[in-house]
Amino acid sequence: MRKLSGLERVFTALKLQEPDVVPHFERIAKKVREAILPDASEEEFVEYMDLDGIRFIDRTHSWSYETVDESKRIKRDQWGGLVRYTTEDNPVPMEPAIKSERDLDTYVPPDPDAEWRYEYLKQVVERFKGERAIVVGVTDIFALGRENFLGDVGYFRAMVKNPDFIDRANEILLNYQLRYIKNCIDFGADILWINGDWAMTERPMVSREFTQRFLAPPFQKLVEYAHSRGVPCIKHTDGNIWPIYDTIIDAGADGIHPIDPMAGMDIGEAKAVFGDKVCLCGNVSCAFSLVSGTVEEVRQETREVIRKAGKGGGLICMSSNSIHSGVKPENYVAMVKAIREFGCYPLSLD
Amino acid sequence: MVNLAELSKAVIEGDSDAAFELAKRALTSGVPANEILDKGLIPGLRQVGDLFEKGEYFLPELIVSGDAVAQALELLGPMLGKEGTPSKGKYLIGTVQGDVHDLGKNIVIMMLKGNGWEVTDLGVDVSPEEFCSAVDKGDFQILGMSSLLTMTMPNAARTIEALKAAGLRGKVKIMVGGAPTTPEWADKIGADAHAKDGPTTAIVAAVLIGKS
Repeated sequence: MRKLSGLERVFTALKLQEPDVVPHFERIAKKVREAILPDASEEEFVEYMDLDGIRFIDRTHSWSYETVDESKRIKRDQWGGLVRYTTEDNPVPMEPAIKSERDLDTYVPPDPDAEWRYEYLKQVVERFKGERAIVVGVTDIFALGRENFLGDVGYFRAMVKNPDFIDRANEILLNYQLRYIKNCIDFGADILWINGDWAMTERPMVSREFTQRFLAPPFQKLVEYAHSRGVPCIKHTDGNIWPIYDTIIDAGADGIHPIDPMAGMDIGEAKAVFGDKVCLCGNVSCAFSLVSGTVEEVRQETREVIRKAGKGGGLICMSSNSIHSGVKPENYVAMVKAIREFGCYPLSLD
Repeated sequence: MVNLAELSKAVIEGDSDAAFELAKRALTSGVPANEILDKGLIPGLRQVGDLFEKGEYFLPELIVSGDAVAQALELLGPMLGKEGTPSKGKYLIGTVQGDVHDLGKNIVIMMLKGNGWEVTDLGVDVSPEEFCSAVDKGDFQILGMSSLLTMTMPNAARTIEALKAAGLRGKVKIMVGGAPTTPEWADKIGADAHAKDGPTTAIVAAVLIGKS
């Protein structure tokens, strides 16, 4: 087979076919990038490591924030809630924007058409379009509603006590995100990465009934719009999704990430049960081996992921969440090398 | 006479109004507050924990059941103090340094309070020094630390080391929990117990202090 570009490689895997090599891209914490290639930009790092795509998220690249308390690193996000920056690159929600249903009556959502939101995407498109997959992270409506808009407790309470409140909130958030993804696709996004947990380690956060009533419909609307523009969607959710994986697939996901090993999700079992319906993205452990394993342990775990889930295509080999700042840089490099060592099709790992 | 099983049912169903009304009627008809807690609220909350464990209840159901208990405790709280009812114990809790997640911790607090614990919440992003200071100044049976991120788990271990260095380790039992944590890890860092979720925390905490 001829050597494919990163973009072709990722698209082939998403079509559940075999590319030349198992594809790989990641979101990588600055601390890890710096240790591997000091003073380089994210795009320079992607080129240096020859990754098949670049992934970034709306929270960090397309949302506005205003500082509330510099010393405590607290900011107000564009939805009106408070977030706090930790040692990771992510702002973590602290206080939601909406405290009661009355707040929605006068709520003015942020403007999805503001040009500055797309500056980084345009920069990436100019550099990588047609060569590497440009993967734009879009926060899932459930995650946005739960984390930033209504808050965890308010959201879960309203699911039981006041479902109309959730519907109203979802409509506001969905209108914004549909407009946002339209603009991203217009500017050149290749793939949408719909980000937000639906499950915990032991089980889904909400019942199957609530998953189908509240979580799946807005997700499906994002996917349907993206598909109407020829753009595939990968759904990210940590946790044990065995009780709801079919809901995610039925809503139209082209890929599922990360098949969370910490939640007992075995990627070989996932391959056998639903690997013919959706591309599997994962799942080298960023809780254990990438953080505290040896280079050889990471190499062997990566080989095992490819052996279990790579056959016939439909695998993008990645970590089990992201390359966060606790990952040993040499272990990340070992994972990438192992993907190239063991991931050439046809595979011969059994 | 109020049937306290009805109060348990209101907790299981997450019916805050009914829980409040039933607790009020029970008090008015002369049922002591500690009996309302022991025979109404705690059995309801235990059943909620069982349903969660069995996978029949999820986070929304836990939240509304916790709301129902909180409503009833608003009435009972002051009475419990007056009657001199001993609490199950004093529990100090916080999310470790570098971590600002609090949903899991808040569910744990809800379960502990509903089971008769007095809980002091240090909040999120709590440094080892802050934990040590609170242990030193307070009179807690158990310190619980929550970590939702793999990269902040080492800060639970650092806190235990800091307690040892300050000569405070023997003053409290230590419990750890949070999505990425395991019983093996808890053992490795020198904690006394691990709990995987809110309902389990209330059970394990009672066992730790011999009040199960």
